[in-house]
Amino acid sequence: MALTVSGPPGLARPSRGVVRRVDLLAQAAAIAVVLVVLGVILATTRYNLSARGIQLGLDFLVERAGFTVAETLLPYDPGDSVLRAMWVGVTNSLFVSIVVGVASTILGVLVGVCRLSPNPMVAGLARVWVEGVRNTPPVLLLIFLYSLWWQVAPSDHAVALAPGVLASIRGLAVPKVTTPWSGMDLLLLAVLAGGLAWLVARPPRAARAMPRPFLAGAAIAVTALAALMLGLDGRAGIILPRAEGATLASGAVLTPELFTILFGLTLYTTGFIAEVVRGGIEAVPKGQWEAARALGLGEASVLRLVVLPQMLRVVIPPMTSQYVNIVKNSTLALAVGYTDFLTIMGTIINKTGHAIEGTVLIVVVYLCINLTISTALNLYNARIAMRGGR
Amino acid sequence: MTAIDPMLETPRRVLRNSGAAWRRLFDSPLNVALSLLVLAAAAMAVPPLFKWAVLDAAFLPATPQTCQAHAGACWSFIVAKHSQILFGIYPLDERWRPAIVCVGLIGLLIYSVRPSSWRRGLLVAWLVMMVAAQVLMGGGIFGLTPVSTALWGGLPVTLILTVVAIGGGFPLAILLALARRSELPALRVLSTIFIETMRGLPLLSILFIASIMLPLLLPAALVPDKLVRALIALLLFAAAYMAEVVRGGLQAIPRGQYEAAAALGLGYWRTQQKVVLPQALNVSIPALTSTIIVMIKNTSLVLVVGLFDLISSGKSALADPTWRSPAIETYIFISAIYFVLCFGFGRFAESFERRNKVSR
Repeated sequence: MALTVSGPPGLARPSRGVVRRVDLLAQAAAIAVVLVVLGVILATTRYNLSARGIQLGLDFLVERAGFTVAETLLPYDPGDSVLRAMWVGVTNSLFVSIVVGVASTILGVLVGVCRLSPNPMVAGLARVWVEGVRNTPPVLLLIFLYSLWWQVAPSDHAVALAPGVLASIRGLAVPKVTTPWSGMDLLLLAVLAGGLAWLVARPPRAARAMPRPFLAGAAIAVTALAALMLGLDGRAGIILPRAEGATLASGAVLTPELFTILFGLTLYTTGFIAEVVRGGIEAVPKGQWEAARALGLGEASVLRLVVLPQMLRVVIPPMTSQYVNIVKNSTLALAVGYTDFLTIMGTIINKTGHAIEGTVLIVVVYLCINLTISTALNLYNARIAMRGGR
Repeated sequence: MTAIDPMLETPRRVLRNSGAAWRRLFDSPLNVALSLLVLAAAAMAVPPLFKWAVLDAAFLPATPQTCQAHAGACWSFIVAKHSQILFGIYPLDERWRPAIVCVGLIGLLIYSVRPSSWRRGLLVAWLVMMVAAQVLMGGGIFGLTPVSTALWGGLPVTLILTVVAIGGGFPLAILLALARRSELPALRVLSTIFIETMRGLPLLSILFIASIMLPLLLPAALVPDKLVRALIALLLFAAAYMAEVVRGGLQAIPRGQYEAAAALGLGYWRTQQKVVLPQALNVSIPALTSTIIVMIKNTSLVLVVGLFDLISSGKSALADPTWRSPAIETYIFISAIYFVLCFGFGRFAESFERRNKVSR
């Protein structure tokens, strides 16, 4: 490529006109190459499609899906539309991602702190965990756990792993919490609580004179009242798991497939988040702790006012990519037979033959989810980065 | 102050530290509690595991009967099947060929981590290695029996996928990174779209798309076989990730370096080649190392598009009905191989990095 531009001697940059023309040429060439490649692909695709008698279009989305999905979060049956099946897949994937995200964040902080423990046994154990998952493929971990489940889980009775947790070859049963609120109610309450929290954090001018605790109390009271009114007719309770032989009769039952993907991905991601947390803690110099203590701040204030703000600034960007990774790794559900979005799309493409539309939908859905996560966390990051100053 | 000979200093420091380590286990109530907790967990977990893995385990002779006679782990299966797990369904009498390929690839990979070996000779060595790998694996000349790619499997496939994805992806990654930092808007936008799309999608979906879309997108004569389709997907994926690493390195180069190069009258490509890239790549070695480890792990995903990598060849070995299908033992064996590969590679790169830092 002839991008090399040598200017007249004595000038730091070659004269502008020359650069412009060469640059324009390079860009035009790049665009032309992309267009030609796209054109060739488009032409052959059209030829291939017409040779196979496939019509492009999204009509298939409203047709009957006609396949079963082993495990769904939302009600679904084969008579539902393809679109509904896709939505079921998205919720399954998001469910796995959210549970793994929350669990591995909590565990990751714990393991990351353990990694820096002065106690060599605790630090060593945390290190084994981290190095183990960082150096083996996650899909192998999942397949390993899955076959371990089938070899170890009892096939004729259920064992109590912990109070309220039963396991048998059929799966794992945990206590099921029933709330008096429907999903819609919970969404409404979450929006209300979020809005009120925003108002408390940035009170309007009229309320600015009031003390913060008073505002916070008022917000909590309003939310509680709304929750009470929405939930008046429902019943709250906890259904404990119960087993008849190996059959798990009540409680929330996770199939071995779902349990494997949740447990395996949490094990895996925890190792990575622990490293992020460790990096964040180590990034705050010891002098900051000492200086804050010298100012007479209590331990909690030192942590909240001095250490955490600096740590978060280091930790948020790598955490963002960890959360995106969780969504991406949730596709490994395929390896153990849990039906996530990608599996469902594979079934849809196989059944309907709409490979191109299906592919575009896969790309769009994953990009939407991942871009939402990274945009949200980047916004948060921009805020704390500004507050921290530099 | 008198200089203390470091050789004399070492033993004393080791002694002091080992004493401290023991004391650090029990120096505060919290630590005592934690230590006791770990010890209790170990007391509960270790004896049964040891019993399973060693005391009750079946080793030799490597027959199904040995496993039936023992209650513990069935290592006899690994002893009997290790060659099938490592090399898949490659013809039995020819397995020395993939073995040589594996040793050669690992050796060259380790050698290539050190920047001091980054010369033109290394590129030639890699090209020779790739041709040799193709000749050895595929056969057909020099009197070697031809073996079709459908029969390739196990560790050599894992290594070839890794090496080609990284080796082929790296030049592409440099171009993408330069384009993304370029002042030319068209190049910048195109490369950003490519990188962000690749990084936003799960590798599994990319492999999946490559395996179903390429036959539709290309004329029938040009559609590559399964191995090559997976290779293309892995290569593009690796390129996008490495491009971001290289871009990080490029950002670390101070403006003055560009200005100095411009003052010397160097053009764009000469500036990049002689001034910017050598420094940028040096900065990004640690991140590149971890990307390479991630790619080694990622190759395991090709099993979902029906290629015989290490995990699938392990699975097919397990399908032998004369054994009682010791899946746990097999997956432990495969994990150990991956662990040695990734951990060893990471450790080696790290030790080199440390030496590099000292020498600077």
